[in-house]
Amino acid sequence: MDYCQNTISDEEKEILQEIMNIAFGKAAADLAEVINIFVVLSVPYIEMLMAHDLPVYIKSQVSEYGRVSIVEQNFWGEFKGSAFLVFQSSAGRELISLFGDGSGDFGSESIDALEKETLMEVGNILIGACVGKLSELLGDAVTYSPPRVVTENTPNDAIPVNIFESGSSAIVLKTVFCFNERNVHGFLFLVTSHDSILWLKKSLAAFMEQYE
Amino acid sequence: MIKKILLIDDSPISRRIMKSCIPKDRGYELYEAGDGLAGLETYKDVRPDVTFMDLTMPVMDGAEATGKIKEFHPEAVVIVCTADIQIKSITNVLGLGALMVMKKPPSKETIEDALAKAEAHIG
Repeated sequence: MDYCQNTISDEEKEILQEIMNIAFGKAAADLAEVINIFVVLSVPYIEMLMAHDLPVYIKSQVSEYGRVSIVEQNFWGEFKGSAFLVFQSSAGRELISLFGDGSGDFGSESIDALEKETLMEVGNILIGACVGKLSELLGDAVTYSPPRVVTENTPNDAIPVNIFESGSSAIVLKTVFCFNERNVHGFLFLVTSHDSILWLKKSLAAFMEQYE
Repeated sequence: MIKKILLIDDSPISRRIMKSCIPKDRGYELYEAGDGLAGLETYKDVRPDVTFMDLTMPVMDGAEATGKIKEFHPEAVVIVCTADIQIKSITNVLGLGALMVMKKPPSKETIEDALAKAEAHIG
């Protein structure tokens, strides 16, 4: 296959960056409607790399976190891949109270279970709204696997090494965010395999055509 | 009457989208800046009639730039065009003096509506 067909240009990266910006903005607003929180957004970043370099790349991005909690969710459509929402492992505990009634009484559930449920809920909203809006803007519709929470000592242990074929390329869409009131920071990585690249290139061109 | 329009957005794609949605038959002079600080400086040089402002930008974000533009020129007409559609973000920039907030991506219709509101505000 022609290399140009299997990679994305700088302009396509810029279009994808703007679409990711819109999609994550929608996700933040959706989350803010469900829980009383303000999400500080940053400019998204798009990178193309080899699939086997992904775990090392993600680890390098979140290296200051030490122990991490990751919400992982896969999505399928023309646009298909995996989403990884990465928090410091303390984030779940910080966020629990946002879902409670304010009394601090969480019944008989263990704190560990509540932390996982909280992260799963936050992940479900952020990933679902972001990927959903992104695929909508690109004229696609996706389905999702249930979210999965992994808490590990290092990101290396938590990111599956073999999510894509090792020789293939992957596009990483990264956004960094912060929940202002809780001092919780996180990263959202959307990773799509080279199988989606041809479709993505056509869809990005179609997206811009409406503004020609 | 609107003559000069300033677009402040770090994304060249977003600025291209905005320009494509602005009517071309009215002789508007368009100016661009890629972050809030550059936008503030361009504002001072050009004194546009309307400024379209993104919020999430490097160097200086759109909320800060809106505040500084309104400090410099209280009559400035700033229309925020953003992906950050959280109620708190919208309330914040309206409090800083933005005329209105529109969500991205814009369309010819939403830009037309915003320009009509700006025109009515300018009087």
